[in-house]
Amino acid sequence: MAVTGVNSGAVSYGAATGQGASGAPKPRLRNLLSFRWVAVAVILIGWFVYYPIVDNFVVSTTDQDIFTGEVTNVGLANYDRLLNDPIVWTSLWNNSLYAVISIVFQVFGAFLLAAIIEGLGSERLQRFWRAIYFVPSAISITVSGLLFYFIYQPEIGLLDAALRSVGLDALVKPWLGDPKTAIYAIIAMSQWQGFGYSTLLFAIAIQKIPRELYDAAIIDGAGPLRRLWSITFPLTREMTGLMIIITITGAFQVFNEVMVMTAGGPNNSSQVLGTWLYQQGFIENNFGYGAAIAAVIFVVTMVTGIAQLLYTRRRRVQF
Amino acid sequence: MKRSLHVVAVTVAAATALGFSAGKSYSAGKAVEADPAAKVDYSGTLSVLTKFGLQQLSPYFVDLAKEYEKLHPGVKVELIQESDDSVKGKTKTLVASNSLTDVYFSWTGSWGGNFVRGNRAVDLSKVIGPDTEWGKSLVPAAVQAFQYNGKYYGIPLYLDAKFMGYNKQIFSKLGLSAPNSFEQLLSNCDTIRKAGIVPISLGNKEAWPVVHYVGQLLAYDVPRETLERDFNPKTAKFDDPGYVAALKQFKELADRCTNGATMNGESYASALQAFSNAKSAMYYQEIIEFDQSAAPDSALKQADFGFFVLPVPEGAKGDAKAVEGAPEGYMINTASKNIPLAIDFMKFVTSKEHGQVLSAPPYGQPSATVGGASEKSMSPAVVEGLQVLKSASYLMPWLDTANSPRVAAAWLSSLQALAGGSMTPEQVMDQVKEAAAADAKK
Repeated sequence: MAVTGVNSGAVSYGAATGQGASGAPKPRLRNLLSFRWVAVAVILIGWFVYYPIVDNFVVSTTDQDIFTGEVTNVGLANYDRLLNDPIVWTSLWNNSLYAVISIVFQVFGAFLLAAIIEGLGSERLQRFWRAIYFVPSAISITVSGLLFYFIYQPEIGLLDAALRSVGLDALVKPWLGDPKTAIYAIIAMSQWQGFGYSTLLFAIAIQKIPRELYDAAIIDGAGPLRRLWSITFPLTREMTGLMIIITITGAFQVFNEVMVMTAGGPNNSSQVLGTWLYQQGFIENNFGYGAAIAAVIFVVTMVTGIAQLLYTRRRRVQF
Repeated sequence: MKRSLHVVAVTVAAATALGFSAGKSYSAGKAVEADPAAKVDYSGTLSVLTKFGLQQLSPYFVDLAKEYEKLHPGVKVELIQESDDSVKGKTKTLVASNSLTDVYFSWTGSWGGNFVRGNRAVDLSKVIGPDTEWGKSLVPAAVQAFQYNGKYYGIPLYLDAKFMGYNKQIFSKLGLSAPNSFEQLLSNCDTIRKAGIVPISLGNKEAWPVVHYVGQLLAYDVPRETLERDFNPKTAKFDDPGYVAALKQFKELADRCTNGATMNGESYASALQAFSNAKSAMYYQEIIEFDQSAAPDSALKQADFGFFVLPVPEGAKGDAKAVEGAPEGYMINTASKNIPLAIDFMKFVTSKEHGQVLSAPPYGQPSATVGGASEKSMSPAVVEGLQVLKSASYLMPWLDTANSPRVAAAWLSSLQALAGGSMTPEQVMDQVKEAAAADAKK
């Protein structure tokens, strides 16, 4: 009875939608019908992910006054302004610095540290060091920013006090108040904060490498550096690739730490694209121009992401 | 299949985007006039955006909200409390998302003018104008400060002005007195520095503290009419020689009285703390900060706290009796569903009784309500400050709220550079003029 019910249902479905000689719907029609099951997800993703992206490009071609609601179409004028805005170039430079320094410390530095920790003989020691390095990552970036603001303070800050105490008075300076050092001081804090998290991810990747490979290498006479270079590094390249993507996209989306520590100052020297976007939109009331800056961030992170994904797809590691 | 799904997804996204863009507007709203005869419906929720987010200030509105809810059980008051630094960003976010609260904080000048221009502030002329009962209960100059195009849009809550606070004990030990001229102030600074004390603690991480110094000096150096012409983006020129003169005076003050370039690495709160801890001899502050400088638990005692108006430089061509400051207050959203209730709540907030609470420690915000600033409950310094304020010939508005956002941003960043030594006064003015010229083109 139940079987008959199913069959009759299938026939009725086919009759209503058109079917091939065998009774099943045509492949093209079947594909379209199956779209119903993902329609809700597609609409939600379209609404919450793609619509804001497309809308941002639309907004970037306008000049908007949020108070009066006036929207004027200005074509590509905001992009033209962007090219001639020296602060945009300062911001791009600062974001790039952020990315390069973060790759050095949070990708390659973290990889080396993870390899050293995982090379320790004792499991207990490994756990201890992993936890030690991970602690800063458990602190919110805003709290870390405030903490380092006090460390960098010119009068009562720990850093200047430490320099004075060892006779390096010549190096004492207002780290966040000097246009030459402000962005480096922020980046340094960010490395402290993110280093442990990257180390932990690399440690997990290293743990997945089969032990026999190392045993065979030892029998062949490979030393620790050789094993690191010929086994650990190539077999964690997928994680390395992923970390590079995350680090670069993160570097171009950085906002909180700059906002908390300098708000882009002094004299815009530590502006990054995110804070300059905020300044234009929410302080100077230039939402159209802010959207143009957002478009730049989107393009940079998107291109980086695609390039890196293509690279790692070609070099996937499988055990 | 994969390809067709992609096509569908992109089409849906694009169609949604275009559809929304076509129909999008910030719905600035229509002009709304408050009706004095409107009946108040004591029900529903009333949202209020305040600038009392600091820990020591936040209980004021919290207590008022509780009291109002107790009086009117059908009403719920929802507070969003922001600090001086965060309220600008928060307000603009709320405006951009059409979720501005029923009652919201506003400065006078171009900041408040934005809400009037966009029909986001209720015209309160018939309920708060000088001839109305409510209007008469408030300090006339404070009500006047929220006048735009001949109409009244704001409810002043307190009066604010900038003074140089000083530690009387340090001054007396060094045989100094409150200076009568700018030059005497500089000479006092030299004496204090020789004694191993920081003359003026100044934290400029937020950039606006230096703007406040310059604002007062501009009032002294640039004629009032010229200043007001330059506040207007359509007529701004910034070509008066008084601008550069004021910046040179500030630079000299920064070099001789403060820790110089390090100021950009310190917050204004740290500088206030240094003064309060008696680590510095002076701190340039708003009258609403007096009770924070000399609090019961601070090293600087109330009896040792003195203040003076930043003295006038020799040969200044502006108004020697001007004081930098302005009332600060609240506006009512034209989109509010219950405007009479919002007005009723603000009448409650600005009552004489609540004004006295606001004026007294720990809040120390001199109420704009007549009789609200009670000398009995207020700190003597705040009372004295109010007297000086009353005798001022002109209230110079804050530069960063009087000018357009773009010009204000130019002032903020370039003055930070001047303080740090990477720009000259002339370069600062070039940057301000450039911003003004870009504004004029809009």
